[in-house]
Amino acid sequence: MRAKYLIGLGVILGALAYLIFGGLGQNLVYFLTPSEYLQDQGRYQNRPVRLGGLVKQGTVHYDKDKLELRFILTDGVAEVPVVHKGTPPGMFKEGQGVVVEGRFQEGIFRGTNLLVKHSEAYQAPKAGWTPEEVRKLIEEAK
Amino acid sequence: MTPALLGNLGVSLALAFSLLGLALSLLAYHQGDGRFLKGAKALVLSAFLAALTAFLALEWALLTHDFSLAYVARNHSTHDPLWVTLVTPWAALEGSILLWSLLQTLYTLLASRKPLDPWRASLVLAVLFGVQVFFFGVMATIASPFQTLPNPPADGNGPNPLLQNHWMMAVHPVLMYLGFVGLSVPFAYAVAAMVVRRYQTWVGETRWWTLIAWGFLTAGKVAGMWWSYEVLGWGGYWAWDPVENASFIPWLLSTAFLHTAIVQETRGAFKAWNFAFVTLAFAATVLGTFLTRSGVIQSVHAFAEGPVGPAFLGFFLLVTGLGLGLLSRVSREVRDTAVFRLFSREGALLLGAFFFAGWALVVVLGTFYPLLAEAFTGAKVSVGAPFFNQVSAPIGAGILLLMGIGPILPWRRPRAEVFQNLYILLAVLLLGTLVGLLRGYTFGASLAVGLFLYNTAAILLLVREGVLARLRAGLSPWGFLENRRRVGSLLVHFAVALMGLGIAFSQTYRLESEKTLYRGQAWEVGGVRMEFLGVRALDERRRFAVEASLRTDRFGEVRPRLHFYPQMNSPLPAPKVVYTPGNDYYFLLMDFDREKGEWASIRLIVTPLVFWMWVAGGLLALGTLYILWPAAGREEVKGVSPA
Repeated sequence: MRAKYLIGLGVILGALAYLIFGGLGQNLVYFLTPSEYLQDQGRYQNRPVRLGGLVKQGTVHYDKDKLELRFILTDGVAEVPVVHKGTPPGMFKEGQGVVVEGRFQEGIFRGTNLLVKHSEAYQAPKAGWTPEEVRKLIEEAK
Repeated sequence: MTPALLGNLGVSLALAFSLLGLALSLLAYHQGDGRFLKGAKALVLSAFLAALTAFLALEWALLTHDFSLAYVARNHSTHDPLWVTLVTPWAALEGSILLWSLLQTLYTLLASRKPLDPWRASLVLAVLFGVQVFFFGVMATIASPFQTLPNPPADGNGPNPLLQNHWMMAVHPVLMYLGFVGLSVPFAYAVAAMVVRRYQTWVGETRWWTLIAWGFLTAGKVAGMWWSYEVLGWGGYWAWDPVENASFIPWLLSTAFLHTAIVQETRGAFKAWNFAFVTLAFAATVLGTFLTRSGVIQSVHAFAEGPVGPAFLGFFLLVTGLGLGLLSRVSREVRDTAVFRLFSREGALLLGAFFFAGWALVVVLGTFYPLLAEAFTGAKVSVGAPFFNQVSAPIGAGILLLMGIGPILPWRRPRAEVFQNLYILLAVLLLGTLVGLLRGYTFGASLAVGLFLYNTAAILLLVREGVLARLRAGLSPWGFLENRRRVGSLLVHFAVALMGLGIAFSQTYRLESEKTLYRGQAWEVGGVRMEFLGVRALDERRRFAVEASLRTDRFGEVRPRLHFYPQMNSPLPAPKVVYTPGNDYYFLLMDFDREKGEWASIRLIVTPLVFWMWVAGGLLALGTLYILWPAAGREEVKGVSPA
């Protein structure tokens, strides 16, 4: 009878291990900046990614009838074009730190969720910041 | 006398009473002297009154707009409506800890009124006083709600607008804390049981406590889901946010404990499991607070970071160390010696508990994985909702499967007549799933239909059996209702099956569509035809509202809003939800023409069966209440009655 229990426990643990290790790999969402993406493009194609950066000045185009928001995301060094379906959030503006959830497809980042990073502590980045500094700024702002 | 003075006095006195109570109850245990115990018991009420004074002092400060208190200046404004002001004590960290401590003293007070032998009474009080020392200590040192400002502002910020946007926020945190704190009593009894090496009775003695805590946790979770659905404007109720996970873990562990406790009560088995589960469930409430209040994990729930993180982590390690340390000391004595069959009531209960505990393990892993990954590889990753959903679906299905047969199986060994019932249930499960598949549902949704019908059938079989047994004995069939534990738990099980059905369908079939409409323009989507009539602005003093009017063919005029709070730079959506038994229609105003009000972007989310999830939430509370309701002629329950 004890063996039966051990078998049952083993089955459950095995199933759990499979779920955890099989499931986690495909569902990990990486947080990237544009430069990190450009260094290793192949790795992040068509898988869920959170892309953080700043909205580049003068690149925002919103079409309210198609509900399509286009802009360029930058970290001071590298740039990535973003297409987001849906209305921009209230605080969205040029020069703002944002995190876009979505996938890279054919060189364009297709966003499904757009989060604006804002807090009292937030300050606009200055010209000449390194990507690390931009990244830190975006991570720390809420 | 100022609120700050009174509040500090209350906190200091509560800390002093708790420290003294801890010392006296430990003395009472060591010396075996009843006078010390008497003294400790007298301090329970004093500590409660001191905590109540501190809490009322905070309310006083809020009601009189005393902005010399940092807490009031940060979380209150003179524009707040009365109900918002009254619930502001739990709108931020320090006040939440104060509410938590107040509830802890209340539970200690109620627990101390239960008759118990002096040895265990001293130990139970020592543990509960110890918990109080931690909370009041935190408030007296690093997170005081009564810190004053040298230059008080004329007006404050008001609480986080997300909290003001829905009245549910007044209820949800209190329910959660009542649940968290409630788990401290079974934990204290468990510690006492392990110290005095009397392992059997504590489970039955704390049955009410566990169930009360579980009932509050459940009600709190459902209330939080509803708040998320109605306020956050994404049309969902569960996002696997770290804070949701943090409060889900104690719920899972206390559910596991609730089920293995039945086996110990009836058969005297699973003692070690019960000690482990109750320790981990209580520890998980503390861990959750650490997670969400320390800023180590990003979350929508996170209050501003404070220095309380390490304190809570230390307390978590202390609780876990105490419970599991004692358990390892007595492990030889609590080992199960009897032989169990997997195919029996106790087998199903243990297997079910494993499912709950395993689920908790997976949630812990998914929640902490980003921390571990960053520590070891430096990579910034987050574990998405798909992972949790993918893992939870089979575990949930397994639990629903066990939930049906568990109560049907007899203790010890199956009898021949049980198999007939099992065949019926298996047929219902297969038939239900098949009907779902034939109707074109996905496999998951079809299985959910099958499992719902299977569980309903199992409950009907049990009711029929109970009624027939009474009729054969010449009793009134209505007497079956007096078996509160059975009837209540069947109601809870039915609610869980209904909840499962709602979750499966709302997660599988969800229609989301958005369009920019011009004045007078019509849009037909998701079975609704709507016409955009225009937007108007409303000045509501503490906030500014923009309201879009939509004329629909089925629900009359619908008015989703956007709320602009002065202390927030982005507007908050106030969706209009039309609940129907089939689908929920969730109207959102996303954007509008700020100049002339000529256009507005409208989003419609249609989700099936969400309505039934809230019904299930009500049934869960009702079922728990039914079990707890004191029956005539039985020992009166001393405890709070669940709201």
